[in-house]
Amino acid sequence: MNKMARPPVPGIGITARYPEIGTGPVDTAIYHEPAIYEKEMKAILRRSWYMIGRIEQVARAGDFFTYFMPTFQQEVLVCRDRNGEINAFHNVCSHRGNVVEHRREGHSNGLFMCRFHGWSFDLEGNLARIRDEEGFFGLDKTCLGLKPIPMGIWEGFIWVCPEDEPYQSLEDFLGDQGRDTAGYAWGACTKSYQTEAEVACNWKLINDSPAEVYHIPVLHPHSAAPTMMASGNVMGRLLDVRIAGNHRTNSHYSVMGEPKPVQKLAYFHAAAAQNVARDDLDYEMPVGINATRSPHWTVDLIMFFPSIAFTLSAGMYTAHQVWPMGPNRSIYQQRIFVRPARTAAERFGQENTMVEFRDIVMEDFSTLERIQRALDTGQIRQFHYHDHELALRHQHHVVTRILAEYDRELEGA
Amino acid sequence: MASSANLPAGFADLEGFVPEWVHPDAEHRLVKRLSSEMDDIRAFYVAMLERGEAALAWLRDYELGVLPPEGERLLRLMLMLAEVAPAVEWYGDPRVYDGFPVERLRYLRQISDTAPQLQPGDAR
Ligand code: FES
Ligand SMILES: [Fe+2]
Repeated sequence: MNKMARPPVPGIGITARYPEIGTGPVDTAIYHEPAIYEKEMKAILRRSWYMIGRIEQVARAGDFFTYFMPTFQQEVLVCRDRNGEINAFHNVCSHRGNVVEHRREGHSNGLFMCRFHGWSFDLEGNLARIRDEEGFFGLDKTCLGLKPIPMGIWEGFIWVCPEDEPYQSLEDFLGDQGRDTAGYAWGACTKSYQTEAEVACNWKLINDSPAEVYHIPVLHPHSAAPTMMASGNVMGRLLDVRIAGNHRTNSHYSVMGEPKPVQKLAYFHAAAAQNVARDDLDYEMPVGINATRSPHWTVDLIMFFPSIAFTLSAGMYTAHQVWPMGPNRSIYQQRIFVRPARTAAERFGQENTMVEFRDIVMEDFSTLERIQRALDTGQIRQFHYHDHELALRHQHHVVTRILAEYDRELEGA
Repeated sequence: MASSANLPAGFADLEGFVPEWVHPDAEHRLVKRLSSEMDDIRAFYVAMLERGEAALAWLRDYELGVLPPEGERLLRLMLMLAEVAPAVEWYGDPRVYDGFPVERLRYLRQISDTAPQLQPGDAR
């Protein structure tokens, strides 16, 4: 239990640090207009990088996984070859377009065999065998390998780009946000759960959902709010919001509240597979996490615009990932990363963490669909953001700016 | 019918929850929570919470991968306790606050209940 006296609640004045973003109401058109979504697809979504897994999923030569990117209707095949390299391909057979590997993950003996007519490809993507090759007409096998998809690795995360020629490198895409958060214990949390739900709302609403904590005392009264209330932060204020190009980070402020009975079992008797107290960190916290070095820090929400944000604490993290499916439809995917459990008691700690984070996130979804109805029917034409909803205002600013730049790009072309 | 061999020695008082509350993975545990009455969930929760410390003390002596079948059942009862905890402690309802239909959630990846997990420093 935290015996510290109640710390001072953070003040107002974060938005003023970014005068270019403004303070006025914003137009909600970008949250529902089909024509704007079409433009976002070209100007933002196709030009971005997407995290599809971690290197631990392909630990040994021959390990593979496949991943479907719903926004782009593209499926990716990731594998590790015998030289230890990780390769990523479009999971499309060069004969007539079936998937080359139909399983979600597994271990290959060195050949992926298409289940349609049996063409086989090796771990480097080369076309290794054509069944009854004699019947074809002078095919050049060297030109019929799997098509690579642009891929990069950051902190053990595997990212791909849906465009053959990426608009920018992964490093440039991640920018300062990537540099400043590298070095966190990303790779220590090797076990993960993943869930998904289709939510009838615009992709930006999914990003908005964890990006302000103004709502926590009201919408999460029994789950997330008690900690915040225990800290005296009844208005749901943040420690800090920092903007890094198109990306941004929120630092959350609170002190530990009284855990619920099952939480107590997990925290105190399950030897904490999930949580490491700040005081006994086994790594150095990078400059971009708890950047203000506040003793009242609990978690950061690290957003990599446009599609993935990490809620991370000292010892575990979850990823919120959105796959836009249209102006008012999205697939939300949550990954919950925990440290490996050694004993059966620690396994209970993992499950408790997953259930908590999963349920809290689902508490948010109904409001998102109600907002979208209000948007689609023209009932709300402006949003008014609180000082500590700066992350939402920033996202609006970034989207509007990129769409205007894209218009100028087209005029210039 | 539950026999005394279903759970480790000393946990006979929980035999009545086997096999109803023993499920093979997180996805099935969520389904069980959603399809149960709150009274039944509460009865399970209260009985399990009472024995939670003792169960974890027993489970702490076993590394994943070497649990005997009765130990696996005890672990799965505890994992079910984690699953129903929010229903009792937060919501008073199997569903989450503010009514999102939880059935719309799908699991894409889970962690095995019982398989050993690669530890830092283990050879790959
Ligand atoms: S489509 Fe793959 S072998 Fe024919
Ligand atoms: Fe929320």
